[in-house]
Order: sequence, then C-alpha cells, then structure tokens
Amino acid sequence: MKKFIQSPLYIIVFLSVVFLGSCTKDAVEPDAALSYIQLASGYAAGTSTHVEVYASDSAFTGYNKLYILLKDSATGKPVDRAVVTLNPTMDMTTMSHASPKENPVSITAVNHFFPCSVSFIMPSTAGKWTLGVQIQNLENGKSGTASFTINVKAPASAKMFSFKSLADNTTTFFVGLVEPSKPIVGINDLELVVYKKQSMMLFPADSSLSVIMTPEMPTMNHGSPNNVDPVHTINGHYKGKVNFTMTGFWRLNLKLKSGSTVVDSTHYIDITF
Amino acid sequence: MKQLILTATLVHLLVLVQAQPKPTNEKRADSIPEVHLEEVKVYGLTKNTNQQLLHYYRANQAATTEDILARLPELNMIRRSSYGMEPVIRTYNSGQSGLLIDGMRIHGACTDKMDPASIYVEPQNLQSVQIQTGHGFQSGSVIGGTVNMKLAEAQFDDSRKWSGSVSSGYQSAANAWYETGKLNYSGNRLAVMTNISWRKAGNYRSGGGAVIPYSQYEKLNYGITALYKLNDNWTAKADLLLDDGWNIGYPALPMDVGYAGARIAALSWRNVSRTGKWQETEYKIYANSIRHFMDDSRRINVPMHMDMPGESRTYGGYAASKLVLNRNIQLDIKADWSSTFLKASMTMYQQGQLPMYMLTWPDNNTLQSGLGAVFSKRIDSASLFRISARADVFTKSLTTQMAKDQLSVLNNPVNNIHRLLKNIAVEYNYRFSEQLKLKTILSYSERMPTSSELYGFYLFNAFDGYDYIGNTLLKPENAWKAEANISGRSGIFQYGLTGYISRINQYIMGIYQPGLSTMTIGANGVKKHTNLPYAMIAGAEASLIVQPDHSLWFINTTRYSYGEDHQQQALPMIPPVRNTSSVRKMIGPCAVQAELELATAQNRVSNKAMERKTAAYAIAHLRLMYSGSLAGNLFSIDGGVENLFDQAYREHLDWGGIRRPGRNLYLQVTYQF
Repeated sequence: MKKFIQSPLYIIVFLSVVFLGSCTKDAVEPDAALSYIQLASGYAAGTSTHVEVYASDSAFTGYNKLYILLKDSATGKPVDRAVVTLNPTMDMTTMSHASPKENPVSITAVNHFFPCSVSFIMPSTAGKWTLGVQIQNLENGKSGTASFTINVKAPASAKMFSFKSLADNTTTFFVGLVEPSKPIVGINDLELVVYKKQSMMLFPADSSLSVIMTPEMPTMNHGSPNNVDPVHTINGHYKGKVNFTMTGFWRLNLKLKSGSTVVDSTHYIDITF
Repeated sequence: MKQLILTATLVHLLVLVQAQPKPTNEKRADSIPEVHLEEVKVYGLTKNTNQQLLHYYRANQAATTEDILARLPELNMIRRSSYGMEPVIRTYNSGQSGLLIDGMRIHGACTDKMDPASIYVEPQNLQSVQIQTGHGFQSGSVIGGTVNMKLAEAQFDDSRKWSGSVSSGYQSAANAWYETGKLNYSGNRLAVMTNISWRKAGNYRSGGGAVIPYSQYEKLNYGITALYKLNDNWTAKADLLLDDGWNIGYPALPMDVGYAGARIAALSWRNVSRTGKWQETEYKIYANSIRHFMDDSRRINVPMHMDMPGESRTYGGYAASKLVLNRNIQLDIKADWSSTFLKASMTMYQQGQLPMYMLTWPDNNTLQSGLGAVFSKRIDSASLFRISARADVFTKSLTTQMAKDQLSVLNNPVNNIHRLLKNIAVEYNYRFSEQLKLKTILSYSERMPTSSELYGFYLFNAFDGYDYIGNTLLKPENAWKAEANISGRSGIFQYGLTGYISRINQYIMGIYQPGLSTMTIGANGVKKHTNLPYAMIAGAEASLIVQPDHSLWFINTTRYSYGEDHQQQALPMIPPVRNTSSVRKMIGPCAVQAELELATAQNRVSNKAMERKTAAYAIAHLRLMYSGSLAGNLFSIDGGVENLFDQAYREHLDWGGIRRPGRNLYLQVTYQF
C-alpha cells in the first residue's frame, strides 16, 4: 500500500476519480448550477409525454424565461425533438386575454430543455393564469396539449409596465426587463422587451421604438456614467448597457420614442441588489 | 526586470562575500543631508543647518513629531485636523514625494490621506530625519524628494544595564494629555529598547475662543526594537512598531476616524565597519499593515450614515551598500522592492433599503523593484562631482473581478499597468572657502501615478468639494529640476540659501467632467485625474543661525514657494512667504526661548481648486525649560505658552478654513534614569 501511495499510479488514479466524479452528473435533471425551480408538470394527453416547466424563479409579472422539459412517459427519457407552442391565457371571469410570449425558436432542445418565455402582464390576484403547452413530439409523432395553472406574483418592484402611446393615445405597449437578472457593481448588459397589444389575444413584438435609459439612485440623487441606450436587435428585444457604481436601490428611467415623438416618459424599472 | 534586480542583488552578495575588509581610513564624502536628533548617532557627518534646527526644536519635550517637522524649511504640513498632518516636501504633493519610515514604504489605508506614515513615529521613536530634495534616488522614483524618518534604536551603554525615561504633560488648548515611557536594556551583545506614548486630546480652542468641534483624538504608540551584535562587523536589528488611534476627529473633512491601527515590523542586518571596499552594507526585510475605519457616527446632521474602511499591506526589502574605490571615488548602490496591496470601500445606510456598497479603492496591488546608484568623485580638495541614477519597474494591477468590473464603469482599461521609470541627476559641489560653499544639482526624474490617481472611485476631496475618479491611462509625471545652494559659516554666523525650479511634464491634476454626476451628496462635481501638459514649481529657502556664545542662539528661517500650471494659473496649496525666528538664552539650568512665526497673505490662489485666500498672520510663542537632577538622574520641565496673543489664524495649507489652536499653555515633566 505504501508503495502504491508513493507511485505515480496513485496520482493518476486519484486524478481520474476526481475528473470522472465531476462528469457523472444526472443530465436529465435541471442543471443544479442554474438552480431552476419547477413551476408545473403534468401529462399532455395522448402524447405519452410528460411536460415539465422550469424557471429560475417563481412566476412573476413581467418577462419570465421558461424552460420546458419533455420526458417520454414510458421510459422517462428526455424528448429532445418537439414543436412546442405556448398559450398563456388569463381568465378574469367576465373576459379573458392572453399575454406576450416567445415559443422555442428551435425544434431541438438545448441540454434537453426548450427555452422560451412568457410575459405575464398582471398577477394572479386579478384572475387565473393558465399556461397551455401544446407539443408535437417529433420522436413519437404524437401531438397534444398540457395545461397548467400558474401562480403569478407581483414582484417587489415592477419588472414590466404598460403605457398608451402619447402619439395616438390608443396603442398599448408593454415593456419588460430581461437583463440584468444578476446585477453587479460594474457594467451590466441591459435587455428590454417591447410588445404591442394588437388584440386581447395578440401581443406581437415591437421593433419601432427607440429607448433612452437614464439610471439613478433616487436616495442618493446621482446616476452613473457611460451607459448605452438599448437599441432593437431582434423580436422586440432591445439591448444596451447599464452601469452600477454601487449596490443598492437603482432606478432605470426610460424615455420611449417613436421616431422623434416621445410616446412615453413617465415609467421606470427599479433594480435593487 | 525583477529578475535582473534579483540577479544584481545576488551578484552583489557574492562580491560582498569575496571582498576582504581592508583597513582604510578615508573621510566620507558629503552624503544625503541628514538631520540627527541624538548626537550619539552622528558619524562623521558635517553638521548641517537642518540638523541643528531639528536638534534645537526637539529640545522642547512637549513637541510632537509634526511640530518638529513643520520647522524644517523644506517641509510643509497639510493640515486636515490637529492629528495626522501630512508632511510634503516643498509644494510637491504626496504622490510626487516619498515618505519612508526607516527606509520602509508604508502606504496609508485612507483614501482621504488622513494617515500619513509620519503619524506612526513619536518624537521618542525618531532618531533622525533624512530629506533628499535635489537628487539621491536611493529611495524611490520621486520628483519632489524623499523624507526618511529613521527610527530610534536600542542603545549599548557600558555603564548602565537599564536606563529609560518617563514623561508626563498637559496642554491647555485641547485639554490634552501626553504621557510617554521608554526603557532600554543594554547587555553584552544585545540591546533592547521599548517605548510607549499615549496622547489624548479634546476639542481644541482656537484663537479668539471658538472651540473647534471634531478635533479630538486619542492614540497609543508602542514598540520594541532590539539590536544584536552578530560579530565585530555585523549587527542584526529587529523592529516592531504598533500604533492605535481612536475617535480621531477631522474637522476639515465630513468624516472622522473610529479606529486606525498600524502594525510595522522589520528585520535588518548591517555591517557597521567603516573599513574595506564595501561599507555600510545593509539588508532589510519588512512588512506593515494599516487598517483605517472612517465613520461619521458622531456627526450630527449627516444626510446619510456611512462607513469607509480601508486597508493597506506592504511587504518589501532592500540591499544597500557603499563601494569605496579609493579616497576620492565611491559608489552608493541600493536595490529595493516592495509590494503594496490597497483596498477601501464605502457602505451607505438608508433606512428601509439594502446597504449601498462600493469600492473606493478597488482592490489593487503595486509591485515595485528599483535599482539606484550614486557615483561620487572628489575632483580636488574644493570640488566634488556626483551622478545619481535610478530605474524602477512598476506593475500595478487590479486584483479582483469586482474591482475590475467596477472600474470598467469609468471606461477605464483594467489590465495590468507596467511602467519603467528613469531618473538621473548630476551634482557639482564647490567650496570657495569655509565662508562660501556652492552646490548645484540638475536632475530628471519620473514618478508613478498613485493608486488614487489611477483607480480612485469617486473619492471626495473636501479641499475643493469635488469627487475624484481615477484614470488608468495616466502617464507617469516627469520633471526637470535645477537646485542651487550656497552655505557657509563666518564667525558667529551660519547661513544657507537654496533656490530651486522645476518643470513637471504630464502634470497630474483633477479636471472637471461636466458630463458626470457626483456621488457624494453636496459635491460640486466630478473631476478626473488627467495629465496636463506641464506645471512649474519654484521656490527658495533661507536660514540663518547666529550663536554669539554657548548660551545664546538666534535662528531664522524663511521660505517662499511658487507654482503655476500650463495656463499660467496658480497651483493650489502653495504657501506664502513664511518666516520663523527663535531666540534661546540659557541661564544656568534654565533656558528661555521666544519664537515668532510670520506669514504673508496668500492671495494668489487656484480658482480651479476653489481655493480660499489666506490672511497674513503673526504669532508668538514663549517657552521655558529647566533641567536639573533628582537622585542623580536628569530631570527636566518644559513649559510655555504657544500663540501667546491668542491670534485667530490659519495657515494656507490648512483645509476647510479651520482656525488653528489659540493660546495654549503647556507643561511637560520628564525624568530620565
């Protein structure tokens, strides 16, 4: 034994154990490092598929990144090829409406997950949110829908707001915060989504606005230097940079313009970290 | 470069080992002007004017280190409080000059410069002050010069194994107590000295009677130092110096200090023989750690409570020696390195919100390695030629991701900064006669931007009321400097006259940034450290000592400074003409001393720095000293009145328009055994 410990073989064995140990992760479960939590799960009738909905946090009013995991109900193995379509609806007894959403862009899962998003535009206190997940399992060719009740909470500070355009006083826009989701003292990626309310059931992404973003610390009465106003990239996503010079309570003041017309300048999104 | 220095040091070591001590008896060439406080340590150096000044003013046992330093013509004290005045050489700022303790680099842990290293040396720790102005880059790449405060050492005393002193004193203006104790053990090969001083002061009364709030402080300074004779030539020395301060008020700043602590340790080996080719060889390693906690918990009407802790850790070492080639030629060389880590942060508290936290000095490290040499050649009995050169390699780095992330906000590159600094000086000394000696120096020097200048993050400067941000693209400053000195002695008169002029290129100064919003509530705006094309600093110092007999001295010093930027506008913090006179008469065991301090008004001020003008003033002090013996031991009483006529005044370098102490009665009793 003593000889073994002194031999180079020991080191090789030791290192192998360390490396192999770090590789044998259960790939089916959500990545622990990302610490997803499961919002809902259930069977999509007639598809032999179990549908699980994950997110990094419990559902809130605003832009929610969701991760759909499909499992074959017989084998429990992940289904990596499927067409996934989201149908979020809110039932307010007298009426119902949908919300903005982003279906998975690919029919192929990323690490077994189908990334997508739903922007819940109000909390569950106003009614009942149902998330319909319609799937077409391309591995067994079956189609069907799973429906989940989602409890949507209002966050401590709003991550999404809506306004009626000052240009026509009729068009309603929704603006949600995507990034920074983990703010740091330093330069942060800033990402906003903008949706237009076309009907009660249709909220298409909007790329027509320009955004002027001014961060400030309301209690300190100062801002931060060298921010970059978000500009439209794709699918209603606007990307820029926001700089935080310290931790604490920050307010991102937003001025939205359509061409040279200011369509809204009264809203802000607060970030505290 | 680091390797080069290491190699150089190793080669040096080898040479040392091979060098056989040869009994020679050359007279040393003039070296760095050194001000010795205790005559026991004055080896062969000619007693220059400064040395006498220090010796003279130190006779007052109640004097603080700052009181003593303030009397030296080359030094100016920037005052933010009654505690922690910052010594600077002439009108060069602290980034342009060096302040060392026993050759050690010590970086303050306060972003507001509340803690210059000089506060860690009490008069009883202080052996001498070495001031280099014109040349002598043995201590660092600086453009203003270097002050080295040498620490007192344990004494070998054949007659007494144990000796020491105790002292107690009181000062009326701040209701202050000053207590000290010192104990020295002298053995055969080992000598150990330990000392302690405690000061506690309340809010002081300024001239005219107004009490200055937040000017109190309390501090304890204690240390132990030991010398061990390894053999006839080599001595080992160990130093441990500790300093703790509490509840230190800074009336000129918006915050005070809750606690400040310094831990300073050093080990050195030196060759005390004065024979052979290599002489006065010294090796030293040291480490120090400073912690500093600014807080505003005692202030009233604070818009937002905040804590601002800072820390500084330095490790370093050096090897120095003198190569005596023959009686006319010698080469002083020194290789040194140091590594300094700095971090300071600010946390603000607002009721009902998460604390706001940021780094004010994003974690950063300075690695410095330098090699300096001074070649001296005595041409004939009247003239001496000297050439000094030094190169320094600096690497400054941000050490954490958070530090880098945060500084990125300023659009600053955050990668490591490497700089090679070069310095050279030529000096020519000519002695016309004992009455007239001339010294001229021409030098080129460079200095590294400070960590605050590079990395500072919204550091509020209470002097001009602006937040300062760092700039990692700063270039080193470089300066061309000429200095001339004439001195001499004639009968009872001794005089010295120095003039200097320097042009500092890439002068670093804060420039207002209209586009940036302030961080500090109530600040005037944001300034960014920027290289300006150049600035000019000039000045003159004169001293006259008249000593008609051994019982009477008259000392007079005058200094004048001038500074302008590239737009011919005044630089800030330029003192006006100042004159200090002192006359001391010994009468038996007593001495009576009268002092007069005069300053003209300073109306030439920097508008960019929103500097205020300062009125002329004249203040007088009267001191009495008695020394006698009690039970065969020395016993002395120092008493007197400072600011005799209770003038309401302030000096131009005092921040915040805060008046200095008014009439102050003091008494200090010292017993030596």
